[in-house]
Amino acid sequence: MSAPDLTERPTETFPVVQAGGLRFFRWMGRRALALLGGIGARVLFVGEIRRALREGRTWRREVFHQMRAIGVDSLPLTIMVAAFIGGVIAIQIRYQLFPGIQLSIVGLSTRQIVILETGPLLTGLVLAGRVGAKMTAEIATMRVTEQIDALETLAFDPVAYLVVPRLIAGIVMLPILTVFADVAGVLAGMLSSVLVADVQLAQFLEGVRLGYDQFQVTYSLIKATLFGGAIAFLCTFEGYKTFGGAEGVGKSTARAVVITSIAILILDATTAVLLAPYLQA
Amino acid sequence: MKRRDEVLVGIVATAAVGLGVVGSLYLARGGLLPGYEVYSVYDWGSGLRQGQPVMLSGVSVGYVSTTDIRRDGKLVVGMRIYNRYDVPIGTTSKVAPNGVFGDMMVTLHPSRVTDEHFAPGDTIPAGPPSVGIGEILGKVDTISRDIGALTAALRSELVDAKGLAELRATVASAHDLIETLDRVATEQSRELTRTQQAVRRVAGAVDSAQVDSTIRAVGDLSTNMAVLGADLRATAANLDAVLKKLEAGQGSAGLLLNDPGMYRDTRALLQRLDSLTADFQRNPRKYIKFSVF
Repeated sequence: MSAPDLTERPTETFPVVQAGGLRFFRWMGRRALALLGGIGARVLFVGEIRRALREGRTWRREVFHQMRAIGVDSLPLTIMVAAFIGGVIAIQIRYQLFPGIQLSIVGLSTRQIVILETGPLLTGLVLAGRVGAKMTAEIATMRVTEQIDALETLAFDPVAYLVVPRLIAGIVMLPILTVFADVAGVLAGMLSSVLVADVQLAQFLEGVRLGYDQFQVTYSLIKATLFGGAIAFLCTFEGYKTFGGAEGVGKSTARAVVITSIAILILDATTAVLLAPYLQA
Repeated sequence: MKRRDEVLVGIVATAAVGLGVVGSLYLARGGLLPGYEVYSVYDWGSGLRQGQPVMLSGVSVGYVSTTDIRRDGKLVVGMRIYNRYDVPIGTTSKVAPNGVFGDMMVTLHPSRVTDEHFAPGDTIPAGPPSVGIGEILGKVDTISRDIGALTAALRSELVDAKGLAELRATVASAHDLIETLDRVATEQSRELTRTQQAVRRVAGAVDSAQVDSTIRAVGDLSTNMAVLGADLRATAANLDAVLKKLEAGQGSAGLLLNDPGMYRDTRALLQRLDSLTADFQRNPRKYIKFSVF
């Protein structure tokens, strides 16, 4: 008796299992390729930026305009957010303390939380929404209306003209905004704990000065610089690679804000893991 | 437009740099006031850092401006004292903990009242180091060791040597005793209640006229007793006077009791009487001569 020929087995015997399994693996494969493709596209975009940095005459004129748009125009919003958060942090800390704990800890904790965490992080997240979305929408609109193609036709490097000034402005202005956010947060914490809670000004100031190290501000500025670069890079990339008309502009803008926000959080965690040991007194 | 952008960005950037510098200086120095430099040399700095406060009699008068290790391993600490404060001669300095977060500070302790002060560049002598966390932990460790030993001894006495079991037995016995006493007390209470009731009944049955006459009789008895007592006291006084006379050797009795010569004569007389009696019993005819004819 000869062995049965399995190749002749009808595929209808396992139709559901076979189709479902294939669909899952095809989906996984598509996602993995898309992920790798996205990483590759961004790496190539970095190469384009590097090349465009040599076009100083093109991007230099635009830098101050972008610094104003990203930095100066965002200053009121940044200060307001930082001040509210700083004030709330100070009040929360005050009312979470057990009786008998010295109240100077309110100043110490407010300073540490604002400078090390909420100052740069909230500034980054706020700017990802306000400035990042604007960047993506502008560049995406230029892309779908073929203005970028027109620039290329005129031998004008679009990356040097559109991306590099925003990247430099983001990297420079976010630390500057973070300095304002840090100061506003600590001052608001001081005002709220003195005016709303029962902390004496001298107690708050004693805590603010306690255990201070210059690296704490440096740490805050390092984070802000990374966030500024991430916002500018990821948002300009999403805008630059947009397709599909007005709908594509909307999708790119939404995706840019989401990706940038997640990237900021990941960078925040990574920075904390890498640099927090140096903060130890 | 371009110029306006540049100016605005320049203003914001300058303000940020200014805020950063001023804020950092304020935090690092504990203020922005001008001051003069004095120094102290310590064997151990306990993690003292630039910017940490300098306290004179509990008040912040400056901050640590420099920390430097000398070739001989000593720590030279530079302190910037605000111009409005003077450090009196005789002051000693030491490194002390500031709060519970591991911060340190330099504390200055004036020893006497004087108008002389340390000048800029002077060195303030270091006082005895304050108790550090290490010493405190050492003491805590010693205490915990003692507590451990005490616990072990208690375990040995109470558990291993059956002390706890005996204690429990004693407590049980005490409990039984208390129960017995409680029963006795209850019984006594019941008896007392009964007695009280009986007394009440008797008191109710007693005629008040009889009681009055009894009280009167008792009163008379008491008066008689008082008279008797007075007589007894008078008798006692007489006896006392007699005894005093006897002791003083007054009267015959007094002489008899107190004069040794009379005692000896009496004794000799009694001996003679005794020998006479004996001789009379042995030879009665010697003394009695009876003849009819």
